[in-house]
Amino acid sequence: MKKINYIASFCLLFLLVSCSDDFLEPVPTSAISGASFFSTEAQLETAVVNMYDGIQGVNALELTSSNLNHAVQVEFYLTEMRSDNTRTKSSEGEAAQFESYTIESTNGIVDDYYRSFYNVIFRANTVLENLGVASEETAMAFEAEAKFVRAYAHFNLVRLFGDIPMVDKIVRVSESDVQYVRVAKETIYDFIISDLQTAIDGLDNSSVNRASKAAAQALLAKVYLTTGDNYTEAQVLCESIMGGSYALETDFKDVFYNESNSEVIFSVGYAPDNVNDSQNFSAEWLNAVGRTAGVNYVTTEARMALDEMGGNRTPLSYRQDALQPTQYQVVKYLPNGDESLDIDATSNDPTSAGNDWIVIRYADVLLMHVEAILAGGQTTSVSAALNSFQQVRNRAGLTDAVSSITKQMLLDERRVELAFENHRFYDLVRFGVAQDVLSEFSSANGYSFSGTDLLLPIPQREINLSNGLLNQNPGY
Amino acid sequence: MKNSIYNIKVLACLFVFGLLTYSCSDFEKFELPESGSIEDATPPSANFSFTQGELDAFLTYSFSNESASATMFAWTFSDGGSSTETDPKYTFPSVGTYTVSLTATDALGAESTYSEDIDVVEPEEPEAIVPVILESSFEDNALPDGTGDGRDSWRISGRTIFGITSGGSNFHTGNQGAKFEVAPEDRLGYQEVAITPNTDYKLIGYYKFKSSPDGGMITLGIVGGSHSDPDDAEAAIFASVQGGDLSSGDETNGYHKLELAFNSGANDIVGIWIDSNDMTEVRVDDISIELVE
Repeated sequence: MKKINYIASFCLLFLLVSCSDDFLEPVPTSAISGASFFSTEAQLETAVVNMYDGIQGVNALELTSSNLNHAVQVEFYLTEMRSDNTRTKSSEGEAAQFESYTIESTNGIVDDYYRSFYNVIFRANTVLENLGVASEETAMAFEAEAKFVRAYAHFNLVRLFGDIPMVDKIVRVSESDVQYVRVAKETIYDFIISDLQTAIDGLDNSSVNRASKAAAQALLAKVYLTTGDNYTEAQVLCESIMGGSYALETDFKDVFYNESNSEVIFSVGYAPDNVNDSQNFSAEWLNAVGRTAGVNYVTTEARMALDEMGGNRTPLSYRQDALQPTQYQVVKYLPNGDESLDIDATSNDPTSAGNDWIVIRYADVLLMHVEAILAGGQTTSVSAALNSFQQVRNRAGLTDAVSSITKQMLLDERRVELAFENHRFYDLVRFGVAQDVLSEFSSANGYSFSGTDLLLPIPQREINLSNGLLNQNPGY
Repeated sequence: MKNSIYNIKVLACLFVFGLLTYSCSDFEKFELPESGSIEDATPPSANFSFTQGELDAFLTYSFSNESASATMFAWTFSDGGSSTETDPKYTFPSVGTYTVSLTATDALGAESTYSEDIDVVEPEEPEAIVPVILESSFEDNALPDGTGDGRDSWRISGRTIFGITSGGSNFHTGNQGAKFEVAPEDRLGYQEVAITPNTDYKLIGYYKFKSSPDGGMITLGIVGGSHSDPDDAEAAIFASVQGGDLSSGDETNGYHKLELAFNSGANDIVGIWIDSNDMTEVRVDDISIELVE
């Protein structure tokens, strides 16, 4: 009897010490888990590509669930339609809130953009937290790419919303002080500048759909022009890009319809007729081709500016809507071509378009160069500025020599060169004329603009989730 | 027996009754609050920002109302003006300091006031900087603190400073000039000055060669940006002019004048570079940078 007790207790003891922790919790071999995924450089590269996928957003007409992130595909609502360049065709739905300056904090498109870009920031931080698995050289390149994307996202958000939460690492659900505390704009800009400087050091100019050195330099120049405190450095950055191999396309049409042209510095890539990688904003800008009846339609004011100052860019910027001749559409990103303008269709299905979205192009850099030399003043006649300005105008067929450039001339030239490319709203704010120009535009069209409309409302969903930590922008 | 059972029943009823009464005692939470009994958690808070008009409209300020939780606004300006618009534009009578006050009221009558002083000045085009060149004439004791041998501001670590020439007609003005001898001497003069970007300037200097040997050349250059290494500085020269006339010049004491027009470009700081090709001894004097109108 006693012997069996000894044997039994010995066996029991043996069993107790033989099971290690891992024995009961093996790492799954047939399924991927987030915590253990990034273990090779190839896997880290998928995370890098994932960042650009986040910026690309989802085609709402292919993947129709409304909770998906549409990212840059809905950016035009928040920028062009809030400026005096475009509006909805028939004042429909939530989109009409943007043109009439009656945006509510419950606006779904504002919420979409906010969560899309914080998701992009999360994807960038994922890359940054797993750099250890890459070799030293590749780690430096990936770090530069991730910091460019993170800075790009924060830059868009801070310009639209004002003070925003600053996310420099992967945030856990419990860290409500990072998620819901709005950090001052100045601190955000310092963070953006430091990320872009790392990006410039680590990138080269080998890619257009991924971050490049010139893209980081151009973005940093734009940041300096926005904060207004380092015009000389902005000028140096522009001159550095100007010394490279980018050049203006001779034909304005080629900028948008020739995918490998030498003018584009950074664009978001799309693939035509593809469920996962196409875009639908091109279709939304047409008459009832997308889900809306037509958005991003050209305002009378924008048409007048283009007619007066556009040169040969005008027919390639807007056209009359063939189905509704009193309305005017954007020409720059047509998915189904235009025979009279000799533009081919870019995809078989216009709702699944492949037109890449241009974020930064060389003409913008030349005009930023002029802006940097102007340095917040009223006029300039420095020959370097006249040279850059003239290059853009010459391409547009406006070859008469300019002897001095005023702030208004530069603003107008930016409007007609970069029309409908999501720059107008930011240009008005940067030049300090947003309130004047937009209140005049608003009273002429019966909208209700007030000074607080220059910032978007923080999405109500975020405010609700924050349990009182997030405060709303004034006026909402 | 019946009595005790009855007593127990009564006690039980009383007990249950007491329990029920006790548990239902807080009926207050089902009462509706009276009007005005709960404080407004978001009283109005007034705030505004402003931008000055441009060019001739510099007396007109546009105000942007940033108040929260308010429905009516009353603006008062210290020169007597007032407005009830949300985002008014106001023209001040003249330059000076004014106080602008915004009172924001909500529908309950709660008020909040915010004031700010505005200093209305006519914006001036900032004057371009005329660079200050120390020891421009290479004289002794010419530094602001009264010291200096005429060359101290022109030194750069890594290269030998030029010599000093004096006496007779060796200088252009003053008592001394800079002297650059022939090889194996290899002298350099370098000084950095603050400058306004994107402005047209003219660098002026005077030189005189000794009569022999032949082949001498003096270079005056402008270096972009600030550099501590002379090789980096030399690589960053973006404008330069050379003088090689060994004959007697038209200026005082037979000197020649050298001029170099340049645009400062994207630089807040430029360096003045004076170098000889070390083939003929040359004197240099009176370096200056002027604005080109």
